[in-house]
Parts: sequence; C-alpha cells; structure tokens
Amino acid sequence: MATPTALLDELGKRYTLSEIHIQRDDLLFLKVTKPQAVRFLKDLRDDAGYTHLTFMTNIDYIEDGRFTLTYMLHNYDTHHEIGVHVDLDRDNAEMDSIHNLWAQGRTYQCELREMYGIRFPGSPGLDDDFCLEGWDQIPPMRKEFDIVAFSEERFGNRPGRGSTDPREHMGTVMYPEHRDGTEH
Amino acid sequence: MSLKDLISPFYVWQRAFQKPYTQKRPIEERPGAPRYRGFHINLTEECVGCGSCEAICQNHAIDMVKVEGLEPRNGDSGLRPKFDYGRCCWCALCVDICTARSLRLSNHYAWVTEDPDAFHFIAGTDAMPWNQNSLGYRRDDDYHLLTHDRIEMDALSPEESLKGFDEVMKGYTEEQALLEADRCVECGICVATCPAHMSVPDYIKAVRNKDWEGGLKLLYETNPFSTTCGRICTHRCETDCVLGLQGTPIAIRWLKRAIADRVPAERYAEILNDTFTENGKKVAIVGAGPGGMSAAYYLRKQGYGVTVFEAQAHGGGMLRYGVPSYRLPENQLDKDIDYIRSLGVDVRFNTRVGQDVPFSELMDNHDAIFIATGLSSPMKLRIDGEEHPRVVSGLKILDDVAKGQDPGVGKRVAVIGGGNVAMDAARVSRRVGADVTVLYRRRIEDMPADPEEIHESKAEGCHLVPQAIPVKIKDADDPNQVVIVWGEAEMVSDAKGGRPRPVLQEDRMHEETYDTIVSAIGQGGDYDFMGECLGSIEQKWGKFIPGAYQQTGVSKIFVGGDIANSTADAISAVEDGHHAARGIHRFLSEEGLQ
Repeated sequence: MATPTALLDELGKRYTLSEIHIQRDDLLFLKVTKPQAVRFLKDLRDDAGYTHLTFMTNIDYIEDGRFTLTYMLHNYDTHHEIGVHVDLDRDNAEMDSIHNLWAQGRTYQCELREMYGIRFPGSPGLDDDFCLEGWDQIPPMRKEFDIVAFSEERFGNRPGRGSTDPREHMGTVMYPEHRDGTEH
Repeated sequence: MSLKDLISPFYVWQRAFQKPYTQKRPIEERPGAPRYRGFHINLTEECVGCGSCEAICQNHAIDMVKVEGLEPRNGDSGLRPKFDYGRCCWCALCVDICTARSLRLSNHYAWVTEDPDAFHFIAGTDAMPWNQNSLGYRRDDDYHLLTHDRIEMDALSPEESLKGFDEVMKGYTEEQALLEADRCVECGICVATCPAHMSVPDYIKAVRNKDWEGGLKLLYETNPFSTTCGRICTHRCETDCVLGLQGTPIAIRWLKRAIADRVPAERYAEILNDTFTENGKKVAIVGAGPGGMSAAYYLRKQGYGVTVFEAQAHGGGMLRYGVPSYRLPENQLDKDIDYIRSLGVDVRFNTRVGQDVPFSELMDNHDAIFIATGLSSPMKLRIDGEEHPRVVSGLKILDDVAKGQDPGVGKRVAVIGGGNVAMDAARVSRRVGADVTVLYRRRIEDMPADPEEIHESKAEGCHLVPQAIPVKIKDADDPNQVVIVWGEAEMVSDAKGGRPRPVLQEDRMHEETYDTIVSAIGQGGDYDFMGECLGSIEQKWGKFIPGAYQQTGVSKIFVGGDIANSTADAISAVEDGHHAARGIHRFLSEEGLQ
C-alpha cells in the first residue's frame, strides 16, 4: 500500500508535478502538465490502483486567464483519493479525451463542453445537448456569463418586484433636509 | 390470440391487493437532511437591512423592501429581504455573506400551493410554516466571505511617542488602504450615522480603485475638514458599520485620511475646481473652527462674500488649541484651512468680536451671521479650594503646548475628568515628563473620551483611577504643590432608569499631594459678545437650541458647532456649518426661509 509520499516519489521521477498538497493521509492533490496528463492518469489507473474516476470537473480562474480541470480518482484497495489538476488556456480550452480510459469520461466531457466550452477532440457525442436544450448563449459556467442579465432578458420580473436602496431610504426618512442631491 | 394473452390482464389485477412499493405523498413527508437548503428564514430582530444578500444574489432573487412598523434608525435601514423563489437556486450565498448572520435556510423543502405569488415573501416577517424550523443550512463558523479583521495601522510605540509630539498614527500605506477598503460591502448603513452624512461607500470605493482625486472630490461634497477628520473624527459611522456585527468595523476614518494624505495641497484647487460667481451678499462668521470654516467653504462656493472673525492668531479652534499635535499635526489642520482661505474667504485673526469689533457692526454690515465660537470656558469643579494657583484647566495646558510654551506642570500631576480634553491634558503632561494620575467620577466605560484615547493614554503610562470623586483642594506644605482630597465612589443604579450614579463613600477618602491639578470636566460657552440679541435666542443648559437649518430666533443669526449641539465634536460642527450654509442660502435667496 503506497503512502502518498511513496507514490509521489515514484511518479515524480517520470512526471513534472507541482502544487502538491497532501490534504489528508488518504487525500492528495497535485498538478500535472497538459501534455503529460492523460498518460499520468493512465499510470495511476493501471499501476497505482486508482481504477475509479469519481468525477471530473473544472474551475474557472478568469483573472489568470486559465481553466483548471480536475480529475478525482479513487483506489478501491486503499480507499485513497487523488485529485489531478491540469491547467488549460481559458481562451482556447482544449484537452485530450479520457473516454478510452473511463467510459463515463465521455459524459463528463460532454458536460464540460456545454458548461465551459472546453473541447475534447474525439470524445463521442461531445456536441450533444447535456442538459441545456437549445442553448444559444456563451457556456453558462464561464464566469463572464452574466446570469442576472440573461434572466432579466429571458424571463423578466414577476409583477410586484422592486427594491429599495438602504442608504437612499435612510436618507429620505432620517435626514431629508441634509441632502444636497449629492447622493451617489 | 393465445390463452396467455387473454389471462395476463388478470395477473395485473392481483397486484391491486398488494402493498405498493412507492412512497405515498404527501401523507408520509420525508424531512430534509439537517443541513438541507430549503426555504429561507431571517431573524428579523437581528437583521439590519444592509442588503448584502441582495447584492450577492447571482439570480436577482432578492429585493430589499419596507416592512410595516419597521422604521429606519442608526445602524438599521428598516428594510428586509424579500425572496422570489421563481429565481432562487438555493446556492445560499446570501446566507454566507449575511453580515448580521440573521439569514439562514430551513430544511423545509416541500411546499405546495396553487398561488404562484405565495412564493414571493419576506422571510422571517411573513408567517411561513418553517419560520420556527431549527434545522437547515447555516454558515459554518470557519467559513467567511467577509474579512472580519481590520487591517492595523502602524503606530509609534508608546516609548517612542512619549519622546515628543510626533504624530502617533502613521497612516495606511497604499497596500494597507486597499486591503481595508476591500472589506467594505458598500451597504451605506453608516451614512445616516455620520453627522455630515459623508458618502462613505463611494469614497471607500475610490480608495479601492486608487482614485485619490475622485475620492477627494467626494470628501469635499460634505466635509472640507477631511484631512483633519481622517485623523481625529469621533467616527460614529464605525459604531454602525455592519462589518462590526461579527468582526471589527471598517476603519472608515483611516480610509478618509488615506485619500486626503495622498493628494498634495498644491493640487487641491485643480482637482476640486471650486468655481463660483460673486452674488454680492455678505456673511459674517464668528469663529474659525471646523463649524465656522465649513460654513465659510459652502457659502463661498455659492458666491457669498465671507468674513470670518477669529479671536486667536490661527484658525482651527479647538482642533488647534485642544487637540495635541501627536493626534493632529498643525500642518495637516492648516492643509484644510488654507484651502478654504484660498477661495477668497477673509479670515480676520486676533479679532475678538465684542472686544476688537462690536457685534452690532456684524449685524449692520452683513446679510447673515453664523456663530460657531465653541466652548472655551472651563467648567468649575465647584469644590473648596479650586482657586488654588496650582489648579489649572486642561484647556490652558493644551493651549500652552499648542503655542509652544512649557505648561509647567511639574513632576506629579492629577487630571480630573474623563473626556478627550482630560485624556489629552494627561498625555501632554506625560510628554513633558510628569507622572500622571487621572481621577474620574464614574467607571472607565462611562468615560466620554474616545476609546482609543483611553487606550493610548494607558499605554503611555497614565494611571487611570475610576470612581474617584474630588472633594476638596487645599494647600500643601510646599507652596509649589497642592493637596487634593478625594473619595471612592460606588455606582448606584438610578431608580428612574438613567445611567448609574456615583455615590461618595465617606469612609474611603484619600489625600494626595501633586505639583499640579488639572481640571478638565468640561467647557461652557461665553456669549456675552452678542449683547441684547441673546435674549431672543433659545438656550438650554448653556447651549443654543437652533431651529431648522441652524437658524435662531433672530432670523439673520445662525448658530452651530459645540455651542449648539450635544455631540460637541468636529464632524458635527462641520455638518452644522454646512447646514447653516444651506439655511443662509435659503434665507437670502428666493428659496425662502423666513
């Protein structure tokens, strides 16, 4: 049973690993480069016992212009988990497909294409609708997507909606004579 | 058709008598998990209506609305969040951001009604079946979207600060200011509490954007003493800052200073661009303190010819002669005053009205008068022996030091009082090398001085003795010394519900010898210069009671500052001056004010 440290020593010989974070004895996160990522995942599956892809997701670091894909793997023998991060260029997000490693990978990749616009060339059914039928906007999980503006335009407001600004309200009621129209 | 096809429907029928596999709904309701995100609950009493929930809601599902019977007051807008469940996605960001921690989610998730408008309600206020529900999502104690701790400001150590009169607080660096500004949620609850109703969220935003010029313009809309107030303001706004509900309030005062300190005086005129045309009317102002000079600024901007009469050799009033330079350096006060003067405000220094110029001349030659002379006469202790030559007033000591003279307090000093003047007199005495004891008749928490003044005076080695009532002052053996007799006091709760009262314990008396006793129990005003006008102006407890827009019973006389408000601080004086300027403009223009 490989401890996280032993596993890292072994993998570190062959892969460029960074941002290693041992969160618990049975939970480890690390980052691997995009060209090495799929080979790295395959080694984890075939040689290190991480046979199960628990989930696959993405984080949008809009300020840094990058996406961070996250593959969460589970080892059924040791019940250890490992989270593998991979940085992608946010403006041209494309990643090698893992549907050949884990069949359910195609579903996650279809979802990530729909929600973030990430391309996974060769992934079956990549452009099928995942849960957004007839979506005509930018992918909605990208942080530049303005949910409120979209909702206002698409659905409008229920009758009876309307808000009062706390500062304005307090000024009107509490000190009306002391206002010069310089409120902002 | 086979026989099986004929019989099979009857096989199905036999199931009609078996127990169904599916759960019956809604007869067997399943409770949500303990931390389930169901319908909202808001603890209305704890909510302050800051609107952070509305601001963070990604789906625009929340409106801040008026609630019947809930009026706005300092620290509470009186508004409460109303939820539109057609938009809510139960992300609970509203719960996580809630400054009062009053908002939470119940674990109640199933609610059936045929009226879609029923899913649009004020949580916690409208009666809902889950309002008493004790389970559901809460923010974790260790999860914070807000930064609860204030960015500290660098300061001189007590040892260093005692060496002289250098400014103790060093001011925020740009990095510190940005971090502190970043904590603000921009709710604007503080604006009502600020006596001058400064645009706090806007200028904090300017700090965040490093827009020092825009920030300065915002400050001057309501306060031409921003360099000063950025240092010594009583910062009532911070008392009601919603960040203070769970952490420390935003350092609003320090952020004001951060703006003013970053704009050099030479650039004020260009940035503020205060242009006006003369309107030919003249206003006299008595007193060049924050009240008088603020009135001068706002009147000048409307084109009035403004003359300020000041008894002292410099402007600033109590800010100069009552606040020591380690809290407010003179050059910073001058920065504010000089800009106002640069607009063509004529300040006549060393000119005491009633002595150097008759009040009647002001009345005859001006269209309106604003009086903000401040409280400069020390109140009497009203105990035997207080005329002793070794008893001096706190103001006298501060005045001496402000004028560069040695206050001559000796090595052992007792200060009587618990206000800012008492604290400053004590700290100044420490700086000239004295051991200082402060005697105050109530408890430390009752002291009217700013908490930081109390804190800093303790740090600088002043010995604070609460619940000490002076009884008598008498001669010491050494003619250069003086003896004070004081007794310990017990706090007795007031039967009428007022604050507890100190009662002298005659069996616990003390007698001590000092080089100087400093009396600093408050100040009164001196209004004799106004002559017969005084009879037409309402007064109570030695202060004027102005009407709307600071106007008095003599229609062309307006009053403000310490002589006309109960707070007696710089920021209130600034607003009185500003408000009087509004009033005078109405009075002298067609807008009307009789």
